[in-house]
Amino acid sequence: MSRELMDQAKKAVLDATRRGAKGVRAVVSRNRASSVEWRDGKIDRLRESTRMALGLTLFVDGRYSVNTTSDLRPAAVDRFLDEVIAMTRVLTKDPHRKLADPESYKGRHEGDLKIFDASRTVSAVERRKIAAALEAAARAGSGSAKIVSVSTQCSDNVSEGAMATSNGMEGTRTDTSFVLLAMTSVQDRGSRKPQGYSYAARRLFLSLPTVESVGMDATRRATQEIGARPEKSGQYRCILENRIAGRLLDWLLGQPLTGRAIQQRRSFLADKLGRPIASQVLTVTDDPLLESGLGSGTYDGEGMSARRRVVVENGVLKTHYLDTYYASKLERPPTTESSSNLVFGPGTQGLDGLLKAMGNGILITGFSGGNSNPATGDFSIGISGHWIENGKAARPVSEMNLSGNHLTFWNRLLELGTDAFLDSSTRSPSLRFDTVQFSGK
Amino acid sequence: MSRIRKLSRRQAIRLGATTVGGLALSGFLTDPMLAMAGPADGSRPEIGYFERFGVDPGVIREALQVALASGGGHADLYFQHRITNSYALEDGDVNRAGCGIELGMGVRVLKGDQTGYGFTENLSKEGIVRAARTAAAIARDAARGGPGSLHLSAGGPSRYPMARPWLDVSSADRLKLLNTLNERFFKEDKRIRKVTVQFMDQTCALLLADSAGRLVEDLQPLTSLVVFCVAEQKGRREQVRYRLSGRAGLEFYTPARIDRVVKEAVARTVVLFDAVPAPAGEMPVVLAAGSSGILLHEAIGHGMEADFNRKGISIYADKIGKPVARPFVSIVDDATAPGARGSINVDDEGTVAGRTVLVEDGILTSYLHDLVSARHYKLDPTGNGRRESYRFPPVPRMRSTYMEPGPHKRDEIIASVKRGIYCSTFTNGQVRIGAGDFTFYVQNGCLIENGKLTRPIKDVNIIGNGPEVLQRIDMVADDLLIEEEGWTCGKAGQSVPVSQGLPTVRVGALTVGGRS
Repeated sequence: MSRELMDQAKKAVLDATRRGAKGVRAVVSRNRASSVEWRDGKIDRLRESTRMALGLTLFVDGRYSVNTTSDLRPAAVDRFLDEVIAMTRVLTKDPHRKLADPESYKGRHEGDLKIFDASRTVSAVERRKIAAALEAAARAGSGSAKIVSVSTQCSDNVSEGAMATSNGMEGTRTDTSFVLLAMTSVQDRGSRKPQGYSYAARRLFLSLPTVESVGMDATRRATQEIGARPEKSGQYRCILENRIAGRLLDWLLGQPLTGRAIQQRRSFLADKLGRPIASQVLTVTDDPLLESGLGSGTYDGEGMSARRRVVVENGVLKTHYLDTYYASKLERPPTTESSSNLVFGPGTQGLDGLLKAMGNGILITGFSGGNSNPATGDFSIGISGHWIENGKAARPVSEMNLSGNHLTFWNRLLELGTDAFLDSSTRSPSLRFDTVQFSGK
Repeated sequence: MSRIRKLSRRQAIRLGATTVGGLALSGFLTDPMLAMAGPADGSRPEIGYFERFGVDPGVIREALQVALASGGGHADLYFQHRITNSYALEDGDVNRAGCGIELGMGVRVLKGDQTGYGFTENLSKEGIVRAARTAAAIARDAARGGPGSLHLSAGGPSRYPMARPWLDVSSADRLKLLNTLNERFFKEDKRIRKVTVQFMDQTCALLLADSAGRLVEDLQPLTSLVVFCVAEQKGRREQVRYRLSGRAGLEFYTPARIDRVVKEAVARTVVLFDAVPAPAGEMPVVLAAGSSGILLHEAIGHGMEADFNRKGISIYADKIGKPVARPFVSIVDDATAPGARGSINVDDEGTVAGRTVLVEDGILTSYLHDLVSARHYKLDPTGNGRRESYRFPPVPRMRSTYMEPGPHKRDEIIASVKRGIYCSTFTNGQVRIGAGDFTFYVQNGCLIENGKLTRPIKDVNIIGNGPEVLQRIDMVADDLLIEEEGWTCGKAGQSVPVSQGLPTVRVGALTVGGRS
């Protein structure tokens, strides 16, 4: 199947070159998505579709544009090429704009990343059964008397892509993903109806957790929120639960490490390469070759061969994400445009152990809103979770806020858990911190 | 929503440029970017714009028939052709551009509250019928017939001023706009070190056909400008994002607006050098007129979307007809303001969009409905059924949400606060529909000390609970301002453009997530 996409990509490269483009990168993608959304005993929504798109990055007389179209009729593509090349010609020349160095295409990983499940397709009937079973599991546990409504979802995707460039890169990829989701709403005081959710996202069908565990987890989380109130403002120790830690980690290791943010002076980590940005317990590796990783692939968005990179080692920053363009502007060698899978470790103990080690403090299980200033590292974010006393959940908390500056906040990190979260490309474990600032009542 | 008179191109543009199948806007199609789709001549009056893709009444009727073949109660087809141009200025040059074309159609079948949905980017008869068959699977009863004839809805509103439609604007004109901005920024303040300007214009044609035989067309323009402004002073660095957006043509960028972009973006950035840490804890919060409408969007707007209520999972599910705020608080969701980013002539189900009153004199009045929830509650839809694109089924969404002016004065409100904060610009917000807890993030604000605005603050998240905060709105000024910054609202994986507004408002107590 990918052969057909590759032929289309190569044709687009040829056609654009023939029209005067000096450099071309074409990506043709096809995605088949199917899902059943289920609610309170029946199907709520049924969706099935196939998408196709052509993405075209053009370098014309030293000028640059990025274009996409879903209208792939041959005559329409011809007109599209004419139009976008004409549009590119009116821009200002930029000597830093060029295709990736062909040397960077070499040495591509050839092993099986196990991101495509060839063994398994899910039928419409099966999707429906799984969605229904998720609801049954959500209603089976304790606390079911409080349930207002249960929504579940079972979905799967098959994505194929082909990339070709005018300087010799050719690559194809095919991957699958399977998602289970359960959301339980329960009755609290007054009109308050907190919702708990649980989900799983995996490349291979057989690596999904059981529907029972996902369904029950959603209801457990919802019922645990009953009676939540803010604590008093203050400095408290805290633990970020594994599945939500990625939100804060992204403010540290996402945008601020990109070439654009650094070159445009919008990053508080611009001059921190080789210097400590977190406590010594933090080591993070960007691993695009991780088996069955949700961010895995053998080449990046520019076609450069994917490689493992240490991002943070014992608290010291080791990597900036530099694509060809911003690397050229910064007069540095390119690395890759953004992160793939982030792998942490090693940790010391599971969540229960972390809770005991903390004693008293807040276990954060949910974030709400909030933002982070990438230029300064200041952040402020809404939280919900549990007040922990002597390592045990004492009462639920909500309507509280966590704030700080990343450069001091991550120095408060004391310990990593062993519970890496597998349902995200950021495979964070739970993280235990010394006291940080919370506001509440 | 459409015009039924034959108009010259210029007339059509002046009148708002909504199309009526093939009659009105034949001249409109001369732009090469659109014409590449195929010849516009020979259009049949019923279909108009999408005729050029081979869509005709026969295909539509057949697809609707297939969609209802398993006994669905309602079916609709949504055709969309959206062209987006973007240009970016960085390091002094417009050196990046992009063009995106989305062409496709979605088929929806309703069976009670249940929805079947399929879409395709292949507008051949085979592609459309296949999508219809997918959507039909939601029902399992005897076939129902499709519509006998199709008729075009006419005489609807026209809310998009387009003196200079994007399809007539040259690349050079767009470049000129960006380059002017660049020079102005660096002249405005010596501390400005970096300016990135991202410009976007969009032209979206849509056609809705349903099992009642209704045909509705619209042509929606959209434009936005996003500025990232970085300033440095004594080794410190601050940055601000400033936005501007509307449903209009190039004329949207008036000298006054350009002036405002430069002056405001620079002022909001350099003031941050004087910012002190925001306080932490519960205190009175005064919200400035304008973008503070984010409070309404999060505290009540989402909770009033009828899908959450028909499912019984919103904190507002049992509150219609009950008092939720003081008598001087009235809140509306309005699609009618000409040129506003959140305005629409019709929603994405073909319903003419108007003004929906959420709260009238403190009493909760109406939810925001799409077709599904309206049928559930046996009410008329309110024109809030919106979708990101043909790839999604519509769900209830906001348009432009604001509070009506109240009895107080801005100065009186600020003077009334002994110790609190004043919030004027924001980056984002979020709400948990069931618990009602919401947050919004303040980019620029000010301390209020003894009734006076004193030192600036920044980067602080505010938290509250929707129904509780509505009750704590104890002063509302007479200075309603609908913002022009332009917001994008995300829900269930779909983004739609919205607007919001607020007069100066005091909330008796909100949790401020600061550090001192």
